[in-house]
Amino acid sequence: MADTHAHAHGHNDHADHGHHPTGWRRWMYSTNHKDIGTLYLVLAIVASFVGVGFSMMMRLELAEPGLQFIRDQHFYNVLLTAHGLIMVFFVVMPALIGGFGNWFIPLMIGCPDMAFPRMNNISFWLTAVGLILVATSTVIGGGAGTGWTVYPPLSNHTFHPGMSVDFAILSLHVAGAASILGAINFITTIVNMRAPGMTFHRMPLFIWSMLVTAFLLLLALPVLAGALTMLLTDRNFGTAFFEPSGGGDPIFWQHLFWFFGHPEVYIMIIPAFGIVSQVVSTFSKKPVFGYLGMAYAMVSIGFVGFVVWAHHMFTVGFNVETRAYFIIATMIIAVPTGIKIFSWLATMWGGSIEFKTPMLYAMGFIFLFVVGGVTGVTLSNAPVDMAFHDTYFVIAHFHYVLSIAAMYAIFTGMYYWLPKMSGRMYNEKLGQWQFWITFVGVNVLFFPQHFLGMAGMPRRIADYPDAFAGWNMVSSGGAVISLVGALLFFYILWDTLRNGAKAPANPWGVGANTLEWTVDSPAPFHTHEVLPVITAEPAGSHH
Amino acid sequence: MINSRWMLFLLVLFSAATAALSADAQVVGAPQPWEWYFRTAATPVQVDLIWFHDLIFWVEVAIVLFVLGLMAYIVVKFNAKANPVPSRTTHNTFLEVAWTVIPVLILVVIAIPSLRLLFFMDKAKNPEMTLKITSHQWYWSYEYTDSGIAFDSNMIPEDQLKPGQLRLLDVDNRVVLPADTEIRLLMTSEDVIHNWAVQSFGVRMDTVPGRINESWMIVPADKIGTYYGQCSELCGVNHAYMPIAVDIVSKRDFQSWLAQAKTKFGRLDADAPVKLVQAETQPSLDAR
Amino acid sequence: MATQAQKTHPYHLSEPSALPLFGSIAVLVTAVGAVVFMHTGFYLGLVAGFVLLILMFIAWWRLVISEANNGVDHTEVVKTGLRIGMLLFIASEVMFFFAFFWGWFHSSLPILNNVAGMWPNNDIEPMGASGIPMVNTLILLTSSVTVTVAHHALVEGDRKTATNWTGITAVLGVIFLIIQAYEYWHLVNHQFGLKDGIYPSTFYLATGFHGFHVLVGTTFLIVCYFRLRAGHFTPSAHIGFEAAAWYWHFVDVVWLFLYINVYWWGSSAFGHLKPLVQ
Repeated sequence: MADTHAHAHGHNDHADHGHHPTGWRRWMYSTNHKDIGTLYLVLAIVASFVGVGFSMMMRLELAEPGLQFIRDQHFYNVLLTAHGLIMVFFVVMPALIGGFGNWFIPLMIGCPDMAFPRMNNISFWLTAVGLILVATSTVIGGGAGTGWTVYPPLSNHTFHPGMSVDFAILSLHVAGAASILGAINFITTIVNMRAPGMTFHRMPLFIWSMLVTAFLLLLALPVLAGALTMLLTDRNFGTAFFEPSGGGDPIFWQHLFWFFGHPEVYIMIIPAFGIVSQVVSTFSKKPVFGYLGMAYAMVSIGFVGFVVWAHHMFTVGFNVETRAYFIIATMIIAVPTGIKIFSWLATMWGGSIEFKTPMLYAMGFIFLFVVGGVTGVTLSNAPVDMAFHDTYFVIAHFHYVLSIAAMYAIFTGMYYWLPKMSGRMYNEKLGQWQFWITFVGVNVLFFPQHFLGMAGMPRRIADYPDAFAGWNMVSSGGAVISLVGALLFFYILWDTLRNGAKAPANPWGVGANTLEWTVDSPAPFHTHEVLPVITAEPAGSHH
Repeated sequence: MINSRWMLFLLVLFSAATAALSADAQVVGAPQPWEWYFRTAATPVQVDLIWFHDLIFWVEVAIVLFVLGLMAYIVVKFNAKANPVPSRTTHNTFLEVAWTVIPVLILVVIAIPSLRLLFFMDKAKNPEMTLKITSHQWYWSYEYTDSGIAFDSNMIPEDQLKPGQLRLLDVDNRVVLPADTEIRLLMTSEDVIHNWAVQSFGVRMDTVPGRINESWMIVPADKIGTYYGQCSELCGVNHAYMPIAVDIVSKRDFQSWLAQAKTKFGRLDADAPVKLVQAETQPSLDAR
Repeated sequence: MATQAQKTHPYHLSEPSALPLFGSIAVLVTAVGAVVFMHTGFYLGLVAGFVLLILMFIAWWRLVISEANNGVDHTEVVKTGLRIGMLLFIASEVMFFFAFFWGWFHSSLPILNNVAGMWPNNDIEPMGASGIPMVNTLILLTSSVTVTVAHHALVEGDRKTATNWTGITAVLGVIFLIIQAYEYWHLVNHQFGLKDGIYPSTFYLATGFHGFHVLVGTTFLIVCYFRLRAGHFTPSAHIGFEAAAWYWHFVDVVWLFLYINVYWWGSSAFGHLKPLVQ
């Protein structure tokens, strides 16, 4: 890759300049990208207890037909809404973007910190406020049983008169503002603060992924903000954007929501592409195959991601021409995605691969992302969507690409960078056990849901016709196994921080050649204060 | 704990199986235990849909197996023991062109039947009758516009189920429709968005307040029977409790049903159907 | 860093700051206050939130101005970063208005959906393009010229001219806002209120958010006016002024789109479409 021969001149970065903040002020008032990254990761872990807890409650309820312990279906709807919002906005995004992005953008491009360190801090705290508000929405005002898509009229004042939906709306507003500020920070940092010699075409692919993601955030979230504002005024001030009785149209909400929502799914998966690219290259001890193709595949996925939104709305009653366009546009995304998959395989091809836990997760990501990706091609065809829209097939599809693939990328990143972040090595044997337990768990959990979808089981129901019992029980069993995997991960995390062996600056050997491995482990409070100089050949050069 | 759960599970399974067996022999469109494939296709649309799905499915299986095979080969051949010295290859123009062009070709192969099916399933060409479907929280209203019949269809609560009736699927008033008849379906909603979905018909359409959506179906005479579906768009607390049950009968049986239904449900002058007519002609103005 | 002598890079690393946490708490108070206000009418929480937010903004930007003025922190590289940041912020603002324009066209172009029977709805008499909106258009266009005059003067080192023309631009902004407020007052009393259906919804939210942005831009210009008087800006270092000018141009462009689409197109040949036969 680009930075094969990156050479850091400032090896004794760790000589801190006299002072750095300590105690609670260090974390509350932080303007340090590493501390803020850590805060994001902690927030994601805290939120995951809630988000995963809610999904476990749903899976236990669904283990058998009939109502087991959820007496009130509205409560089930609140659970699924909060599960979706929390996992998307407060687990996956804070971990992949806020956590790894903050930690490793400055480390990998060779600059001392983010462009706007104070703004970085308010991005974090606003995300925390968003989490508080979404939690509030589940307890005050009866709960929002709208699904994370918050479709009106169900979400309007007639059908959700309580405070809950307003809290959820404002939660997304605040979290969205936080992400927009974060995106401005990321783009400015990447565009303006790369180390001398690091051209765009020498940036590690993780940096490319963050750049594309930040642009998607920057351009998609304001549209959601506009939509949420309209919903808020519809609910509370008598406007009629989504009210048929006033000439408005509920479908308009779906347009705005998915114009944001589709880029949002790439916001969650493109950082994963970046992480997996780094890890595959590191453990294959080979530069990334087809670097430029990989980088521009992400860019083109980002672009096309803005013009495919209505494939989430194939059943709302569009004319055929509209649906035909969105079928074609959506299927086009499979091409750059395929480029990525095959380039990863080609990177491994001829490599000298060490199957450490991060590599296992990266390979698991590639395979299971293919499984989730091909069902995406199925769903992109509007005629077949007539069989699958709002069934468990959709649940299976997007959990394969999000709950499995994006979570796998989080695990990949955690195992890969934990030595750098904590200065300690995780227990490799436990890590591999955790991988296999999770692998079995998530597949047993989500694969049968394809069958349920084929058989026509609708999503978002707490009780289902008895014939669906079999696969639901299997799926719930998989959820329990996955939970064991998740708990084991938290144990490994605790064990690493407490008992882990001291990690060297570069625990992964010659394959790990990006700049973060040139500084000590754990990365000192201030790094790259003397800017490293990048002298490698451009990545696209021929050799 | 686990044992008792599995016992319960087997019990449930057994009872579900027996329920399905003892039900009306004519039921052809109900979910079956351990089903992992589509229900019986009753309309030409669904027949084509399943054919098309299978086409995509096998292409995808091939892709997944190809990737899996490559990964297995990589694991065997290119682990650190087997291959201590990594290659430095980072480019191969032929390969890169191939894995861009071949997926494009595959997508073209998929897209052509996709668009054909899309245009075929869109609207009825020569509808012989019209069924209007209006959704409410949480039941369906049906109106036979050609015959002046209108009625509501509610789920049968669990404690009132008769033997053989399916929990969460059977309703008090089933929709009765003739076989061999091209039927136009018009759908709208009185409150929130619902979705009228019967998988065997290949029909899955949102019912949106303020809009009239259209779909169609025709069931050949050899597919006479009962078909089930469920609301497929989150619509509130009782989303799980507004199923759809459709009896497809012969044309002659349909005529005799119509005669009965006219005395039972006929309310041409009542308000519910009239409201629908208004909604169709002036959708955005009627509710004001 | 505090010890500037040791600084070996051109970047500005901020000291730890309580402002982000304080600002986030202010946002929390505002959000909870807003929900409570909307459901109970109790408005003190919302007001308190706004007050805290404004305090945060004042403190934050005072800090930024002091950093800009200390001659050390804002190196050329940092200035480039600030410019990129401002442009990105404006890009995100454009996408915010994109949503409201989408709403306008989704409702007004009947071919795009089968809901809109007529436009404007409810036989509302639309806001015309002549008269008040025309005057406001001229005011904003003029203000774009005046702010450019000020910018040129500033670059050429003519601080006095720059100060005066910035002041004139800010005054034009205030006049625009007063006229817009009058327009709203007139509309609410004679033509349509916010609750009269989809046309007023899109009209008031699109123009209202634009008005709010004019308010923000005017405030920004007023700050620049006083900073110019205090001699904060030099011909080579005036990021704050540049940002204000860019923002002002953005507000101007949004207005032109509003004027052409909402006021002009929305009230002329294409307005008052007859109900469509389904």
